[in-house]
Amino acid sequence: MSEAERKNEMNRRRFLGNMLKTACGVGLVGLGLGAYSKRASSMPANYIRPPGALPEEDFLGACIRCGLCVRDCPYDILFLGEVGDEVATGTPYFIARTGPCEMCEDIPCVVACPTNALDHDLKDIEDSRMGLAVVIDQENCIAFHGLRCEVCFNVCPIRNRAISLDMQHNTRSGKHALFIPVVHSDACTGCGLCERACILEEAAIKVFPTHLAKGELGKHYRLGWKEKEKAGEALVTPDTEHRYNLPEGMRYDQQGEGLIIEGEAEKTPFSSNPLDTLNSGFMDK
Amino acid sequence: MNICSLIVHTKPTLGPQVSDRLQTFQGVEVHGGSEEDKLIVTVEDKGETVSPVSDTMNALRDVEGVVSTILIYHYGGEESMEEMNREIN
Amino acid sequence: MKLTRREFIKSNAVAAAASVAGVTLPVTKAAAADADDGIRWDKAACRYCGTGCSVLMGVKDGKVVACQGDPDAPVNKGLNCIKGYFLPKILYGEDRLTKPLLRKTNGKYDKNGKFEAVSWDEAFKTMAEKWIAARKAKGPKGIGMFGSGQWTVWEGYAASKLLKAGFRSNSLEPNARHCMASAVGAFMRGFGIDEPMGCYDDLEHADVFVLWGANMAEMHPILWSRLTDTRLTKPGCEVHVLSTYEHRCYELADNGMVFEPQTDLAILNYIANYIIQNKAYNKEFIDKHVNFTKTPTDIGYGLRATDPREKAAKNRNKGKLSKISFEEYAKSVEPYTLEHASKLSKVPKDKLLKLAKVYADPNKKVSSYWTMGFNQHTRGVWVNGLCYNVHLLMGKIAEPGNSPFSLTGQPSACGTAREVGTFTHRLPADLVTKKDAHCKFAEKTWQLPAGTIPRANGKTDGADQTDISGKPMGKTLIHAVAMHRALKDSKMNCFWVMCNNNMQAAANMNDESYPGWRNPDNFIAVSDPYPTVSAQAADLILPTAMWIEKEGAYGNAERRTQFWREQVAAPGESKSDVWQLMEFSKYVKVEDVWPADLIAKKPEYAGKTLYDVLYANGQVDKFPVEQVTDSRGNKYDNHESADFGFYVQKGLFEEYRLFNSVKGIPKKGHEMAPFEAYHKVRGLRWPVIDGKETLWRFREGYDPHVAKGEGVKFYGKPDGKANIITAPYEPAAEPPDKEFDLWLCTGRVLEHWHSGSMTRRVPELYRAVPDAVIYMNPKDAKKRRLRNGALAKISSRRGEIVCKIDTKGRNKPPEGLVFVPWFDAGRLINKLTLDQTDPLSKETDYKKCAVKISRA
Repeated sequence: MSEAERKNEMNRRRFLGNMLKTACGVGLVGLGLGAYSKRASSMPANYIRPPGALPEEDFLGACIRCGLCVRDCPYDILFLGEVGDEVATGTPYFIARTGPCEMCEDIPCVVACPTNALDHDLKDIEDSRMGLAVVIDQENCIAFHGLRCEVCFNVCPIRNRAISLDMQHNTRSGKHALFIPVVHSDACTGCGLCERACILEEAAIKVFPTHLAKGELGKHYRLGWKEKEKAGEALVTPDTEHRYNLPEGMRYDQQGEGLIIEGEAEKTPFSSNPLDTLNSGFMDK
Repeated sequence: MNICSLIVHTKPTLGPQVSDRLQTFQGVEVHGGSEEDKLIVTVEDKGETVSPVSDTMNALRDVEGVVSTILIYHYGGEESMEEMNREIN
Repeated sequence: MKLTRREFIKSNAVAAAASVAGVTLPVTKAAAADADDGIRWDKAACRYCGTGCSVLMGVKDGKVVACQGDPDAPVNKGLNCIKGYFLPKILYGEDRLTKPLLRKTNGKYDKNGKFEAVSWDEAFKTMAEKWIAARKAKGPKGIGMFGSGQWTVWEGYAASKLLKAGFRSNSLEPNARHCMASAVGAFMRGFGIDEPMGCYDDLEHADVFVLWGANMAEMHPILWSRLTDTRLTKPGCEVHVLSTYEHRCYELADNGMVFEPQTDLAILNYIANYIIQNKAYNKEFIDKHVNFTKTPTDIGYGLRATDPREKAAKNRNKGKLSKISFEEYAKSVEPYTLEHASKLSKVPKDKLLKLAKVYADPNKKVSSYWTMGFNQHTRGVWVNGLCYNVHLLMGKIAEPGNSPFSLTGQPSACGTAREVGTFTHRLPADLVTKKDAHCKFAEKTWQLPAGTIPRANGKTDGADQTDISGKPMGKTLIHAVAMHRALKDSKMNCFWVMCNNNMQAAANMNDESYPGWRNPDNFIAVSDPYPTVSAQAADLILPTAMWIEKEGAYGNAERRTQFWREQVAAPGESKSDVWQLMEFSKYVKVEDVWPADLIAKKPEYAGKTLYDVLYANGQVDKFPVEQVTDSRGNKYDNHESADFGFYVQKGLFEEYRLFNSVKGIPKKGHEMAPFEAYHKVRGLRWPVIDGKETLWRFREGYDPHVAKGEGVKFYGKPDGKANIITAPYEPAAEPPDKEFDLWLCTGRVLEHWHSGSMTRRVPELYRAVPDAVIYMNPKDAKKRRLRNGALAKISSRRGEIVCKIDTKGRNKPPEGLVFVPWFDAGRLINKLTLDQTDPLSKETDYKKCAVKISRA
């Protein structure tokens, strides 16, 4: 390294150091101390426990840090927490973006666990809940702009149940559809195959521990149409038949499209008699 | 050379006017915040011809409509202007 | 993005202050402006499928650094599929070829040598020597070229001219033979003129969509997006999907049908029968605009003549139509009752009935779409025709929303492969080598002595054409699959593959392709930007400037011709295909390939090279080199023009227009605008007359070739009438049996283009879909003690590979069928497929052969 280069390097380093100090200062003010102290007890959001892991506190109690699950993982995706990591030392985790769970049908990691920290009652890998995928960045996910990607949907092993595509009209182009990926927590195992496959530089779909990923509806509230579907009929007396005062050529469909004008649709918005147009006002339209 | 950033609080609704006034100082740029009446301002000395940053900052305090200024960030380095204008990736 | 340190520090200072103040800044001005600073944007047609999306490519410092969907393009309105999203990356794979490579031992060409870098001069000298020798010794079929529907328009045109006029050989085929030949056959037989009558606007105008063997959801992603939107927003819109396995289109289907392979023939005949039985047909339309005909049956499967199936065929390869009455036609489809069709196809009756009803309903506008399910079919021409039959019976054709529409797979299967005559039997603009008059017109236009172009039967004015050897030409046509057979049999000794990966793509690699290419008698040249499977099997590799590294033009499935400029330079010594074709022609003299009596007819050509005769002919080299500039004043290079000293692309295109856009041409209906017009627009749909595009053909008001009062006119046929052609159901060539107990169907996936030579070099696409898998029904897997993700051996009578089983993926085959995509150079499924073709179109059937699967 020449003298000039070394000087450059020094300057750059000092410069970066300064930057960091500033950023930290600002960060601390922004976060507040409360947030800082809370963080100490939880894992980083992108660390996911293997399939069948008990709830975090029970898991930490049950896991004897033997590493057998790591040894038996055929895809070598599991890591053990090391000293200094933000995860309990010796406990297993994986990072979906670089090595997601491949969803082995025989779940060798669970079989290997000597203590039931990975629950031996888990027999079907599709029942596991390692975390929950979240389409976290709807601004950058290209599906929300109408591009035909759907890679997450295509790689999802719980096809069309854990991730489905919600097809919507693209109001910008006017003639294309959007194929929006939607994750369903009742089927998503949190394996992370979608996060790995996401073609963006930073994945727009990410797997988080379920407690971080999921909202909760107020305990008092029910979605009416779902309750009706569950019951198979209206929860209260079914509606009677409605009748309406309507001019000739009109029908009314209460459950569907409302007023229905029968007969041919207008070919143009104009009356065939030009005087009708000429004599009608246009300012108040 | 020095680069500083400050938050300049202005009297209610005067953000835009104050912003215009600040821009008349050499080495001063306003980057936003006039709607919130909290202006994001940088002050820098460009070469030796411009008065020192500290003087400029003091002067800002006396501008009409300014309630307070808070220094947030200061970078001071010794290298030459050519060095500073070198492109980085 | 480049910043000075000062700007960088300042932007951080601003960010720090803003975050403390809780003020949201407009995106940091300096940084945002800088990111896109100095990027030059220019339009191009997307490199991949036949949809023809327009894209804007961003170039900075001679490199493509950005891209976007073109918001002003009517096809895609700024959208892209996932392959389009990564377009810049296909140019910059780390293993781009940059020098010609020749197999050598001890400094000399050796078929079994190792690849060594050579100069273009050495490459072409070696190649020309081989080509001239093979042409002399083995006749017009002794050499061959295999081009592409991904060639630009002028590349195809220059190739057509080089082979047909220069080398006097009809051994030119495009990979579109594997892709669109059946569609072409049906267009010609039905309407006398190629390509769809409708356009993509049908996607908004139809009430009902029927997909026949087209997985649009993955293969035409942006068109599917439009179809989906119509289904979502138009009340009463229905989508019917037919295939031999369930694919992603079934996610939208109102009536999804999985049928037994090959029985689409029966289903279509049932629909015709239903229409006739219910007297739903449009009598006025068929009286005025339709002839009824029949085609010979029991025509074989395009296998080698020695195959027992060929020996058993009564009318092998026959296709001559004979006229019948409406009543005879009605009788021919009568056996196809609902019961019969349902029994053959295994589709439930109610679903078939629902499908028949939408076709038969005069008030519903129906658009039918198909791709490889129809075309890659041993009865491909028939089945295309059967679909037209249904539309013609109802008069549901050539008007908005009523459209039988053959979707093309490749970006310029229409614009290049079909329109400029890169098939063995074709010349530019729908002219054919079968017709003496067409050849004579081409010879006149190309300023060649009469009799230069080899006629299909080797005769002009009733007399034999003489070959360079002094012998009669003989029959000159040879199709793609036959080329590989001829290579294996040493009948063809030189083969040049351009802009495609035919070693990976052609069927029956083990028995035909590979032995043909590696036959010690043969010299194989491959032009490619990447070391593909084909390049690996070649003797000479020529590095190719791809896509926007050259000025180009593509024509998409709706007859839209789109141009682009050379936006970046190709790496190393890479040159475009048109450069390679023209440069190579300098190494061959007229005397090397033409007999003396032919040269005597044009003595001024004596001693000239093919380059002089074909390209420096006063016509192609008419336009001087000019600085290519866009409307904003940006300047562009043009490496071919710089090397040859004239505006190559313009000269070739304007000469091509002498075939389709001037007075006195043999076939009207393909008119195109002048060269300049296309650089200014997002494509024009031909016929373009007086600057006006044509959206729907054959219909008065929409098509300038239909006179006032004619209503509908199928002017490709002399009497202006289309043909309804009856054809029965006939079984497939190799149905499953006891040992090979599964159907194998092959195809593509959304993320990869064709053989993956470009898309598998994009890390993100590779990560998304790394390897080919066997899509299999879970029950079939269980029977073989296989589970999802297990490795399995899949084998046919011809070969075997090992793949992972996928029972849960995007494709859901019924019991008895598996689907394997062919993009994966590491798992070559075409070792297994059978080189069966439609005997009429000569297009390969990749959708049906018998395989077995066991644990690996």
